[in-house]
Amino acid sequence: MTPLQFEAAHEAAWGELEKLLTAAEKYRWRQSATPDGPGGARLALLYRRACQQLALAQARAYPIYLTQRLEQLVARAHRLIYRPAAWNWRRFTDFLLIGFPQAVRAHRRYLLAATLLFTLPLLLMGWACWRDPGFILHLLDPAQVRQFDAMYGDGNHALGRERSADTDWEMFGFYIKNNISVGFQCFASGLLAGLGTIFYLVFNGVAIGAVSGYLITTGKAQNFLSFVVTHGAFELTAIVLSGAAGLCLGHALLAPGRRTRLEALKHHALGVVPVIGGAVVMLVIAAGLEAFWSSARWVMPEVKYGVGATCWALVLIYLGWQGRPASAQPEREAGHAD
Amino acid sequence: MSSVTAPLDTLRAVETPEGIALTLRPAGLAARALAFMIDMCLRGVIFWLLFIVLMLIFRSGLGVALALIALFLLEWFYPVAFELTKRGATPGKRALGLTVVMDNGLPVTPAASLLRNLLRVVDFLPGTYAFGLVTMLLRPDFKRLGDMAAGTLVVYAETAALDGALPEAEPAPPARLLTARQQLAVITWAGRARRLTPERFEELAQLAASASEAPPGAGATATTRLLGLAHWLSGRRGEGAAP
Repeated sequence: MTPLQFEAAHEAAWGELEKLLTAAEKYRWRQSATPDGPGGARLALLYRRACQQLALAQARAYPIYLTQRLEQLVARAHRLIYRPAAWNWRRFTDFLLIGFPQAVRAHRRYLLAATLLFTLPLLLMGWACWRDPGFILHLLDPAQVRQFDAMYGDGNHALGRERSADTDWEMFGFYIKNNISVGFQCFASGLLAGLGTIFYLVFNGVAIGAVSGYLITTGKAQNFLSFVVTHGAFELTAIVLSGAAGLCLGHALLAPGRRTRLEALKHHALGVVPVIGGAVVMLVIAAGLEAFWSSARWVMPEVKYGVGATCWALVLIYLGWQGRPASAQPEREAGHAD
Repeated sequence: MSSVTAPLDTLRAVETPEGIALTLRPAGLAARALAFMIDMCLRGVIFWLLFIVLMLIFRSGLGVALALIALFLLEWFYPVAFELTKRGATPGKRALGLTVVMDNGLPVTPAASLLRNLLRVVDFLPGTYAFGLVTMLLRPDFKRLGDMAAGTLVVYAETAALDGALPEAEPAPPARLLTARQQLAVITWAGRARRLTPERFEELAQLAASASEAPPGAGATATTRLLGLAHWLSGRRGEGAAP
């Protein structure tokens, strides 16, 4: 069969496929729940035929303009037919109720490592500064220490004392920008063989531990603890989760197992994305609490302790037990809900 | 076509589930850097316009909050939001005809897009995208670290149409039996009529002059003779004779 005959024989089908493609590309591009409109079955049929014709055209060394045209048709149809499923509300709630806590549990070894990397320096520094308040001057300069004194003291510049609604909003924006960026950096720098993540975790542990120890031992325990207890449940957990995800990246590079380094990185990286996604949600919650609830001095500290304890319990229960399959079903694999 | 032997160029073949090899054209450093600069300018403009509007409406408080949130979103989620649209590209990439796809040529998934853009931080280290630049220069498919981890690829959206239809000529039979590769060479040569100068076109035709018969009315150039042969090979016959 000559190229001209080939072209003449299939021209009608190619034209139809092209028209269907144009229509389908316009028609609700990423809606996976619905079929591709009326032409879906026809499109799949024409696509498979075009694949076969392209293979023939390539094998028979037909002119390039012909194979190229077919190749473009096939590529367009391929993109359309095998495109990823769309995100919708249902998938988002599935992610929060199942995907995220399952992904966290699937990475529990990294989570343990990240928790230790964060809490050990925190406790150590906290203890050192609690025993000797002067120790904090090894880490911070006096101006910063005075600032913390003022923030958590009982004076007029204390946090929440004379804060207006405007400042609350400003702080909310600041916490969103600052804290989530820290979480992202903590995760991404895990690509440097995990070193960046370790640095972020230890650094934050040291800083938070030192300030906590210092404030508690200098008699500002009530102001400080009632401020941090609620949002800490979300913020500290989310930072540790980002760290766990970062450690997973670093581990994949250092000890790829039976894959090549690149393949191991790809495999693990896509697996930890749900953890990062969930950490973002937690950090947004933390920013809201920190700006509007934690800073409210008119709330009794006892109430804040109660709410804080509840939040910690809820977060831990959520991460530990939420999204377990019913006993009959096998556990879904890690990173299933991307 | 290029799946049989390793290509000389940077084309990348991907296989569909139907067993068809499609080719992707990864975009190089220059195009991507330009696209990035366009996006940077655009982000700056968006932020300042938004900032001015917010300040005029709210003056402080909520306005500052929204500005900071906008800054955060523009910094981290500007590329993600655009990559998940139908075009799969930020405005800068679109301006240069680029698009982000998965390694298998499919549209980028939300997880992969998020990942490649979060890992941008590491590509940026130790400043001015040094890691990203080095990895892109070292690899034939121009991936930066984020692309490697997420399994994504930045490619040209459109295939360059280098070959057109054959220019008109009277079909003429070959002088001898031609192999499939020789036939393809002649037809491909004919398809490039519009891209080559007539002189070069003729020069190439003379190399293959022995393939075509000299027509009875001698004096025709090698070009017209070989074009005639190309038409014959693609199936046209002079006086209605069926092939």
